[in-house]
Amino acid sequence: MERTEFKSHISEQLNRNLEELFNQVLEMGGLVERQLENAVIAVENADVALAKEVLQIDKVINKEEMEIDRLCARVLARQQPTASDLRLIIIAIRIAVDLERMGDEVVKTAKLVIKMADENIDCKQLPGFNALLEITSCANTMLKKVLNAFARLELSEVISVVDDEERMDERLAHAIKEVTQGFNDSDLPAECLLEMVFALRASERVTDHAANIAESIVYLVDGRDVRNMDTAKLSEFLSTIE
Amino acid sequence: MSEQNISVALDRDHRSLSLADEKVAMEVKDWNLYYGTKQALKDINMVVPEHRVTAFIGPSGCGKSTLLRCFNRMNDLIDIVNVEGEMTLHGDDVYAKEMNVASLRRRVGMVFQKPNPFPKTIYENVAYGLRLQGINDKSVLDETVEWALKGAGLWEEVKDRLNENALGMSGGQQQRLCIARAIAIKPEVLLLDEPTSALDPISTLAIEELIFELKKEFTILIVTHNMQQAARVSDYTAFMYMGELIEYTDTDSLFTNPKMKRTEDYITGRYG
Repeated sequence: MERTEFKSHISEQLNRNLEELFNQVLEMGGLVERQLENAVIAVENADVALAKEVLQIDKVINKEEMEIDRLCARVLARQQPTASDLRLIIIAIRIAVDLERMGDEVVKTAKLVIKMADENIDCKQLPGFNALLEITSCANTMLKKVLNAFARLELSEVISVVDDEERMDERLAHAIKEVTQGFNDSDLPAECLLEMVFALRASERVTDHAANIAESIVYLVDGRDVRNMDTAKLSEFLSTIE
Repeated sequence: MSEQNISVALDRDHRSLSLADEKVAMEVKDWNLYYGTKQALKDINMVVPEHRVTAFIGPSGCGKSTLLRCFNRMNDLIDIVNVEGEMTLHGDDVYAKEMNVASLRRRVGMVFQKPNPFPKTIYENVAYGLRLQGINDKSVLDETVEWALKGAGLWEEVKDRLNENALGMSGGQQQRLCIARAIAIKPEVLLLDEPTSALDPISTLAIEELIFELKKEFTILIVTHNMQQAARVSDYTAFMYMGELIEYTDTDSLFTNPKMKRTEDYITGRYG
């Protein structure tokens, strides 16, 4: 499937609307990418200003989701899309939901940075710090991959997103153990450790949403609904297409 | 409670329709049709499932109306038409020499694009086919006329003026009257050739709703230029292009994930 197919309708209006939809989803994705990049740097450098920017970007992301819904509703009502056009509308709505949630989750990491600054504690001292950086960076890489896949309608990197998501699940489990240990061993305030647990969980949720987006793109390109497929079966399926 | 039990409790049927599970009303094998030397239908193979609505879509001149007219041998009326292949109605060879065309058309009724009521009363329009069959018993006629008009969703509107001329009805009512006339003789199959293209949107919806009801009793084939209509009313859709049957599957699949690029281009309105 090629992007140009969405520009080859007899109806120029439909061409314009679908192109706009592609662009809006990619722009919204770009905003979440920026949030994630900021979050990584903010955690690493205890940069409160950057953390606050994450919160600001989230407000824009929330509005973007509504814009995408509005555009999708308009196309559904006025142009009655079918086949791949219809699948594009369905997944655009779904991806917008995933991106909006991702935005909310990244905010939790930003709040950790702000909280630590208030408490005058260096984030690096917190158990789970390395895992948080790793999961957040990985989430960002996954997001880049799925946005690329969406922009190019190409599924070659989708398998690696599914694998990354599994890996981050395990990373989170280890990190939570580390932080739990911290409750017993360290004299850091409990609420700071709790903030770390929230941030870790949230970062891992971001990777879940990235995997959801990957599934949506499979539905767009191939027409198959691969949600709730177990990972082994999904990997096997993905290796058979294209 | 197991996952399966929970699903049963929700009473949802997740299976999509499949032609393989259907009872067959009509079957078409290796069907070719020529207008003189020009071939209009090429190697059509399909089964028409019983008590389902099957829609034919495709660009003008693709052969969908020509194929529809084969099902009750309307093409016999055109001298230059030659057909080859096999077509059966509940196992009976539609084109067999011994097949009486008039009785075939009683079994396979048809409604056309433009409503064509006779310049008679509403009652006589519906009773016409029965009278042709030699049924003149008033009580039988009354009962059947009422049944057919109810079936066509028209009874409440016309029950007090059954003796008025049918030509005084609105276009939508006239078309429903034609459907009542067609079903009065209880055919097995009903062919609808663009039945709503001359009607306003509300009358169109009324006919579509009617089609949905009628499939409980009849097998319905519909040709339509309106793709959304095919999507709304049919269980199965056949996409035809230049005399060929390109794709024929359940309507949900055809409109969400067609397998053939030609189908995709047509239903999404792309330049093929």
